[in-house]
Amino acid sequence: MSSESLVDSAPSPWRAWTNLVLLSLRRQARAHWLVWVSVGLLALSAFIVHINTSRGRWTMGHFRSPRRSGITFEQRLVQVKLAGQVPWSPEARGVHFATTAAWATVTHITSALPRFSNWIVFFLFATFLLPLWTLSFATEALGREREAQTLIWTLVRPIPRPAIYLAKYLALLPWCLAFNLGGLFLLCWLGGEPGRTAFTLYWPAALWGTLAFAALFHLMGASLRRAGIVALLYAFFLETVAGNLPGNFKRLSISFYMRCLMFEHGQDYGIGPERPWIYLPVSDTTAWLVLAGATAALLVAGMVVFSRSEYLDVR
Amino acid sequence: MPDSVEDANPRRADRALTAAPTDGVRDEAITPASITLALPRAVDAARPADIPAGRADQAAKQVALRFDRVSKWYGPVIGLNQVTLELRSGITGLVGHNGAGKSTLLRLAAGQIRPDLGAVHIAGRHAWTAAAKRHLGYCPEHDTFYEDWSGRRFLEGMAQLCGYSRAQARERTDNTLQLVGMRDRADRPLAGYSKGMRQRIKLAQALLHDPELLLLDEPLSGIDPIGRRESIALFRELAERGKCLLISSHELEELEKLTDHVAIMAAGRIAAVGTLPQIRAVLDGHPLTIRIACDQNQRLAGALWQLDHIVAIERDHDSLLVRSRNPHGFFQKVTELAITLPLEIHHLETLDERAHDVLDYLLGGRRG
Repeated sequence: MSSESLVDSAPSPWRAWTNLVLLSLRRQARAHWLVWVSVGLLALSAFIVHINTSRGRWTMGHFRSPRRSGITFEQRLVQVKLAGQVPWSPEARGVHFATTAAWATVTHITSALPRFSNWIVFFLFATFLLPLWTLSFATEALGREREAQTLIWTLVRPIPRPAIYLAKYLALLPWCLAFNLGGLFLLCWLGGEPGRTAFTLYWPAALWGTLAFAALFHLMGASLRRAGIVALLYAFFLETVAGNLPGNFKRLSISFYMRCLMFEHGQDYGIGPERPWIYLPVSDTTAWLVLAGATAALLVAGMVVFSRSEYLDVR
Repeated sequence: MPDSVEDANPRRADRALTAAPTDGVRDEAITPASITLALPRAVDAARPADIPAGRADQAAKQVALRFDRVSKWYGPVIGLNQVTLELRSGITGLVGHNGAGKSTLLRLAAGQIRPDLGAVHIAGRHAWTAAAKRHLGYCPEHDTFYEDWSGRRFLEGMAQLCGYSRAQARERTDNTLQLVGMRDRADRPLAGYSKGMRQRIKLAQALLHDPELLLLDEPLSGIDPIGRRESIALFRELAERGKCLLISSHELEELEKLTDHVAIMAAGRIAAVGTLPQIRAVLDGHPLTIRIACDQNQRLAGALWQLDHIVAIERDHDSLLVRSRNPHGFFQKVTELAITLPLEIHHLETLDERAHDVLDYLLGGRRG
């Protein structure tokens, strides 16, 4: 070994931090099993949406009245149209025309967006896919490095621990946002016209929801050894199940506020909770404040936890 | 073994840290109660020409690592018990059996865990802080890397995390790879590296930012003999530059080649700090075995047997194996006898002054 003296230069803490953000961003690109599960769920969801779109199932055209035994709304509309062949009086013809138009509009157009919103955006995306996709990246930002014993390489560098935590959060955000907003876009695009309208209405809520979920799951990654499993349990029980229960308990879930934001944005299209007296939504301002506040509070909490934690599993 | 083995007295520590020569044990007034002994200084005589003398001297004066009555518990189990330690420049070996507290001490020094009592400082800064880490190079025992990256890319990434620009990181990586002898092999993926190559990359990442304090956990493990020689030469060179190296190792023979200054840990405490002969010297109650051969072995044996501190005398071919509880008294008596009888002494050797024996004694035979 030779003895060359090392170059003399002043290192910059700011540059160290930005380098950490970039390095973490690159490391986050390494797909692991949770990401593959997320990709699989996205593919499955996209397939379901595509099938429904191709069969025109977003409208109420296939609804039956009476339920199950009766004819479909589409068939009813055909009957109504056929009734127009009868030589009615001009007044009656006018009424018939208005009825047919209203019936057709409800059956073909205005029912599509609420149905797509309810099933794909509120139920599937907001309460299940978005939390799952977010946790697959967010719990791994620190959790995977802890498991792989590579966190030590960051912890022994001259970067303050809160800054390390923040850098990891910023590095995981592009992946979470890309997956969540990209996934929402794909599902909406495959959903046809109602889907495209839904994306323009709901992407801001998905953005805020992603920020808050990412902050929560990142905190779990910093404080729990098996963060992925705990986050999965949380996403299923608190967000999916408890988030749909009547009463105020669901106000503890992030997806509740995200859906409240979505309801507010879709209000002009007649979109809202099916039973508002049970759902008890909050205003969009409140929902936004809670999501932004939760993001900030969870980030600060995570920085404090991370800066005080001794990772005995990191050697 | 004394009840209180580490020296918490700053005055005594200071004297030991700055004044004691490595081979001056018998001239030192060391009592059994103060087993914290002299630390070796940077070897000024061997300082390379390209290292400014002032820089090395200045480094030698600064305390690189200070443990101030540090205790650490893991639940009800105590990992480190009231440890006080100061290291300046030079190489210190850290030895002890499994569970003795070596890893806890290193992790406290590396700022990965915090003391429950006391304080750990690196170059005057709390070890937990980012400011302290600028002065620290840590080479952990485990070698898990970003396996898909090459050694060069890994080191460049680590240099960038130290705050260097891409160009600076590249230059530092190149220089450090040259230093650890990995320049021509650094472009392969880390997953394909041998244990020895991984050790070198680990060492390189600790050296990237030219820190004052190097904490090396088993740095010689898995390295081939040539690599060991090179590593030992590098460690010595770093010590000569004024760096402080704390090296934990089970390979006592290698450690002995590297330094005769060790910190021996047992039951969460520093049982002894100092050179091996110094530690040996304070263990007056522990019989020292000496091989001696002269022209009148029988007469010498008879004379020695009159002394109270002689425990046993055995004949071994043409020499005597003498076990004495008072080495100082033994050597004085042999000198007297050599003059008065007179004796022609052919051979005089202390047999159990090696680290193994000292460690065996201190740890009650449970060497780690």
